[in-house]
Amino acid sequence: MARQLCTCLLALAACLPLFADAATLSLTLRDERGNPAEDTVVYLMSPTTHRLPLKQPESRIDQINKTFVPLVSVVQRGTRIQFPNKDNIRHHVYSFSKAKKFEIKLYADTPAKPILFDQPGYVAMGCNIHDNMIAHLLVVESPYFAVADRTGRAVINDVPPGNYSLIAWHYMRPDKDALVMPVKIGADASLTATVRTRSGD
Amino acid sequence: MRLPRFRTLQGRIFAFFFGLLLLTQVAGYALTSTLGWSIMQDILAQDLRGGQQVFKRLSEQNTQFLTQAARVLTADYGFREAIASKDTDTIASALENHGTRIQADLMMFVDNDGTPYLGSGKPSSLEDSERVARLLAAISPQGETTGFARLGSELYQVIVAPVRTPLPIGNVIAGFRINVETAREFSRITNTDISFLSRLRDGNWQIHASTLPAAVQNKIAGDLGGASGQVMTPRRVDTPDASYLTLDVPLAALNVQNARVILQSNIDQAMLPFYELRNSLTFLGLVGLLLSSLASFIMSRGIAAPLRTLSQYARSIASGDYRSPPWLNRADELADLAHAFGDMSGAIAERESRILELAYTDTLTGLSNRAHFIERLATALASTGREGAPLAVVLLDLDRFRYVNDSLGHPMGDQVLREVARRLVAALRQTDTVARLGGDEYAILLPTATPSAARKVVNALQLALEAPMDIEGQLVDIQGSFGIATSPEHSADPTTLMRCADIAMYKAKQDNLGFAEYDTRYDENTLDRLSLMSELREAVEHDQLVLYYQPKIDLKLGDHHAVEALVRWVHPRRGFVPPDRFIPFAEHTGYIREITQWVLREGVRQCSVWQRAGLDVSISINLSARDLMNAELPVYFAALLKTHDCRPDRICLEITESAVLDDPRHALENLKRLEATGCKLSLDDYGTGYSSLSYLKRMPVCELKIDRSFVQNMINDSNDTVIVRSTIDLAHNLGLRVVAEGVENEAILSQLCLLGCDQAQGYHFSKPVSAADFEAWVQSPAWRDQVQVARRA
Repeated sequence: MARQLCTCLLALAACLPLFADAATLSLTLRDERGNPAEDTVVYLMSPTTHRLPLKQPESRIDQINKTFVPLVSVVQRGTRIQFPNKDNIRHHVYSFSKAKKFEIKLYADTPAKPILFDQPGYVAMGCNIHDNMIAHLLVVESPYFAVADRTGRAVINDVPPGNYSLIAWHYMRPDKDALVMPVKIGADASLTATVRTRSGD
Repeated sequence: MRLPRFRTLQGRIFAFFFGLLLLTQVAGYALTSTLGWSIMQDILAQDLRGGQQVFKRLSEQNTQFLTQAARVLTADYGFREAIASKDTDTIASALENHGTRIQADLMMFVDNDGTPYLGSGKPSSLEDSERVARLLAAISPQGETTGFARLGSELYQVIVAPVRTPLPIGNVIAGFRINVETAREFSRITNTDISFLSRLRDGNWQIHASTLPAAVQNKIAGDLGGASGQVMTPRRVDTPDASYLTLDVPLAALNVQNARVILQSNIDQAMLPFYELRNSLTFLGLVGLLLSSLASFIMSRGIAAPLRTLSQYARSIASGDYRSPPWLNRADELADLAHAFGDMSGAIAERESRILELAYTDTLTGLSNRAHFIERLATALASTGREGAPLAVVLLDLDRFRYVNDSLGHPMGDQVLREVARRLVAALRQTDTVARLGGDEYAILLPTATPSAARKVVNALQLALEAPMDIEGQLVDIQGSFGIATSPEHSADPTTLMRCADIAMYKAKQDNLGFAEYDTRYDENTLDRLSLMSELREAVEHDQLVLYYQPKIDLKLGDHHAVEALVRWVHPRRGFVPPDRFIPFAEHTGYIREITQWVLREGVRQCSVWQRAGLDVSISINLSARDLMNAELPVYFAALLKTHDCRPDRICLEITESAVLDDPRHALENLKRLEATGCKLSLDDYGTGYSSLSYLKRMPVCELKIDRSFVQNMINDSNDTVIVRSTIDLAHNLGLRVVAEGVENEAILSQLCLLGCDQAQGYHFSKPVSAADFEAWVQSPAWRDQVQVARRA
């Protein structure tokens, strides 16, 4: 399996010397079947990343049409997230996840207090009234992260050059990482990778 | 009523209707049974299908309960929170709480790791973790699954619903245990028996709950056997106790191979109302049968009873009871028949009285006949017997009436008889009865007449008959012999009294007395005659008869000898009985036929004996008038000749003229048949009867015997000589041999020789002798000398 992942790895070393301050990593992610791996969370970890200051102290997950928007989010540990209710009905957002247990009892509009996510890990959120409303949140100890769009593309900006671990995660396979690979960031780079999105193994 | 009733019309009518009704009833019964069963089967099948639908709805309803309960539970925030926080006690209490709400038998939660949390239900069901795992493995991970699952050893209707927080974290399993209560509940609503079964991995079926008796359950389970396909057609299952129509309905099986609910209808129970109906129908049918049997019985009796009455009436007619016909109270054919019977009865009565009249009347004279007279006599005697009054019977027989008949002819004879009747009636009182008994015999009944009064009456009657009768210009003299018998002196019995009168009358005739009164002395002869008959029979059977032979001497002295066989009776007590004591009697009674046969047998035998001994003797045997009438005699005689190998021409059969004259046609015919056997025929006693030359000419005789009365008187009476001579001439002219009987002395013999007579017979030569004596006699020269002496004279 590892071998397979390695063969998928493409490092463009030629680009690295051009941008010494910060670089942008553009990823194209595909699943086992070669389809765009939408909603895959990617982030870069290094031994120092967990000490880095909050890059963006607040984030937001809307409830629009009885749906969490976005479905998948990724935030740096310590981020506070607002759950604005854009519907004209009430919601009751909750999570029983280890990383963060909380509930915002029946409310409309934006709750008074945003929720602080101070533990890394997976947080599955739902609405107690609407069983179909689910949102997936990954709390990471790194400011370098992105979520793949519909085409499977994810862009991590402002990454200082150095050696990192590129980690991919998908909510369909929440207990395991979808990909872990070392990357050396020099200059802007593009990378195509295959990730595991399916549960069961 | 006779036992084999079908022999009677009534029985047949009854049997026909009874049979017809019975047939209808039986056919109806069979039809009802068949139809009933078929209809019942359809109804039961429909019931089962209905039951199936009801069961389906009930089952769905249960599912809905379970679903709702599960949904409420899985949606409960607190419950999910408890699960998320693995708060075991809270989970259990929530399960318990929700389980109680719908009274679920099972309410549990199993998380994704397979860890169970129990709310309610038997702890044992949890021990079967493998089954739970299989149950969970069998269900779809998305959404709820309902069906039947086996947990522990029990079957549950369950729902498996996932719990999301918001991702699936485990499943809630809620269920109702299927037990007898469930089955009863279902049974109560579906109105059928119901059984739940599941199939174990070893292929056997386990019965989880059933409303059926245990034996039937096992039978049903056994019957399912390896059935796995959907059997949706009702089928019949017979158990020793009852029959069921069953319908298998497959259940949604979750963690077992197969689950079934089987609906059963007890056929017998279902048929019960029908059986009751059928029993009622049968009862009604039987009652109907009984009633209609009764009706047909009455109807058939209505026909048969008058018929019986009529047949009884017919029988009474047969026995001479001509009462009026039975009154049948009806106006149909039977009544017509009764009228017809009545008419018939009247007609028969009329005819019978006419016949009686004829039967009691002598048509010639108009007097009563013998039958009537005997009846009158019996009636009179019966009344006098009681009163002890006297009574007399007089019998009258006309003397020499036969001569009148023969000389004047029968029409004249009849007129004489009528005239006598007229005179008798005229001379008697009204109360006296005159009857003609037959022929020239009359009988007169004199009621209340004493013997002396009877004598006076007889004298008067004699006087009445004395005057000559003028019959068509001819004066005829008539005399009669009267016999008188009186009661109570002679007898009180009509038959005996008549016999007494008869005996007296014969005595009068015999002794030419004019009239005679009965005397017991006269009776001895008669008694003699009576015993004679049986003795004579004994004589023939025990060979008491012997033949004696009287030679017939050839006056021309040829070598040929002839004898006349004469029967003799040597009675063991009386000794020698002369022929004239029993031959006339035998002729009279007809027993002469047996005697003649005996004589023929003995004569032919003796003749053949002599022939074999070289003695050539012809034997003459006498035949009586009765013998001539016997058509079997020629056959018998021919057989005799053959048996004894006797020359037929050595047997000569002697007949009298009068014997032939009684019935010439038959006599002549028989004579010809006798002649055909080859024997000779001889005419005996010629001249004593009313000799008719015309018969003489026609009779196939070769010999003529002149009666002894002429022969014996020849010497004294010249007329007799003339008769003998002319007879001899006549016979010779007709080519006949002449034999003279009664030759008693030499003078007669000489005369006969002179007249040219051929043979002579008489005491002058020999009396009848035994066969042995004859043999000795024929050897002696004495008779030849006698003939020669006579011829010389």
